[in-house]
Amino acid sequence: MMYGSTHSKIDLAIEYQAQVPALRPSIRARRANITVKFQDLYGFTVEGNVDDVNVLNEVREKVREQGRVWWSLEASKGVNWYLQTQLNSTLKSSLKFSVLVNAITLKRLIRKGIPPSLRPKVWFSLSGAAKKKSTVPESYYNDLTGAVEDKVTPATKQIDQDLPRTFPGHPWLDTPEGHSALRRVLVGYSFRDSDVGYCQGLNYVAALLLLVMKTEEDAFWMLAVLLEDVLVNDCYTYNLSGCHVEQRVFKDLLTKKCPRIAAHLEAMEFDVSLVSTEWFLCLFSKSLPSEVRLPFTLFSYTLNILTPHC
Amino acid sequence: MGSSGQGQSNFDLSFKILLIGDSGVGKSSLLVSFISNAVDDLAPTIGVDFKIKLFTVGGKKLKLTIWDTAGQERFRTLTSSYYRGAQGIVLVYDVTRRDTFTNLSDVWAKEVELYSTNQDCIKMLVGNKVDRESERVVSREEGISLAKEFGCLYLECSARTRENVERCFEELALKIMEVPSLLEEGSTVGKRNILKQKQEQHTPPAGSCCS
Repeated sequence: MMYGSTHSKIDLAIEYQAQVPALRPSIRARRANITVKFQDLYGFTVEGNVDDVNVLNEVREKVREQGRVWWSLEASKGVNWYLQTQLNSTLKSSLKFSVLVNAITLKRLIRKGIPPSLRPKVWFSLSGAAKKKSTVPESYYNDLTGAVEDKVTPATKQIDQDLPRTFPGHPWLDTPEGHSALRRVLVGYSFRDSDVGYCQGLNYVAALLLLVMKTEEDAFWMLAVLLEDVLVNDCYTYNLSGCHVEQRVFKDLLTKKCPRIAAHLEAMEFDVSLVSTEWFLCLFSKSLPSEVRLPFTLFSYTLNILTPHC
Repeated sequence: MGSSGQGQSNFDLSFKILLIGDSGVGKSSLLVSFISNAVDDLAPTIGVDFKIKLFTVGGKKLKLTIWDTAGQERFRTLTSSYYRGAQGIVLVYDVTRRDTFTNLSDVWAKEVELYSTNQDCIKMLVGNKVDRESERVVSREEGISLAKEFGCLYLECSARTRENVERCFEELALKIMEVPSLLEEGSTVGKRNILKQKQEQHTPPAGSCCS
């Protein structure tokens, strides 16, 4: 409630997104070098040539198709069917066939992408953020952010320095309102987990969560569940040990799953962590268009990026 | 990423330069300002990034591979391996923030000592953001005296206005070329892959005679 205005501003930013220009193939051939600029789903400016835009259009169309699948499932299985499919202990003890089927269907659906309008609800519930939030008093977030608002720590100093540098030029994030929402989430989290405090990269993750989740508090809990339960431990703590582990695992996976690409990179003496470190620490929020950002299956996703045709 | 054989004629010497310093002092801005003549507000660097610039100094065609590192303390575990084999290291501070200056001696000089593998490596102290003269808190004299203490080059510049930006890399390159061992590295290492971090010998592609 407190952040109602924040809410509407995000919506506004998303409302005036321009339509991706649709170009026919014949024109496309002639206009291959023309740069197209438009605002995407979450208000980011996307710039690319006509081919890039067409690829994005395809992705967008696929997401739209997926949306239709979600709606029809909702019609047959009931609203919120996907919220009762978590593979938790109760499920294991009472394996009901229909629940299992739903869980498998859901997994497949998520891999193909969740329609943007359902993302806040699905992410919040299935990530475990909702459960995490339910274990503390209602006022936890407001109490926390209120109590630490004026405190100054190395983390808050770094956060303040990074606020204007997080997606500069974004119609909502780069406003005083956007800065203060992002600040509350990051500063709040830095006090929740002092081992993490603040690590650069989290600013991008939290910013995108704010845009997707729509409410600041939900974004905070998503950040919490990502760092505490979803991602590898210690990815963002003092010596980034988790991040080092991820890079090693990823390199091994690449060698195993895509030996030709791994060998090629090796021959060029190109250390893939040079690029993948940022992908992992920012969860792709800095490097992919909104349509395909923040995947839940990090490793396979990274492999897919490197090997679009393998 | 082109084939190494054809690239050789484009330059005479190749050097690896490293940019280090606290978060937000303008390392990436300095680099972008040097490479593309324009600087917008830049996002924080996560991990490392690099850019390549070809330019001519002292009649030699140079290829500079400039490595830009994240400044936040915890990223040092990621960036330390990039000191290896650098012929030039630029220590950047912000003339409007004293802590970024004091950290040069408290932190960054020690990092160089610890991780730089090159004894003769040329170091340069760069005070950035001189366009914000009214906010300056570190004087030029202080900068010069610290540079003397470290035995390194010194310049003040502004990535925003591009004042002294080109000069900074030029002077560094000229100084590198004055050192025989570095010059030697520049003419041999340079012919190998630019992305190479390790100093090991090039392993030839697997032969067909044996397995």
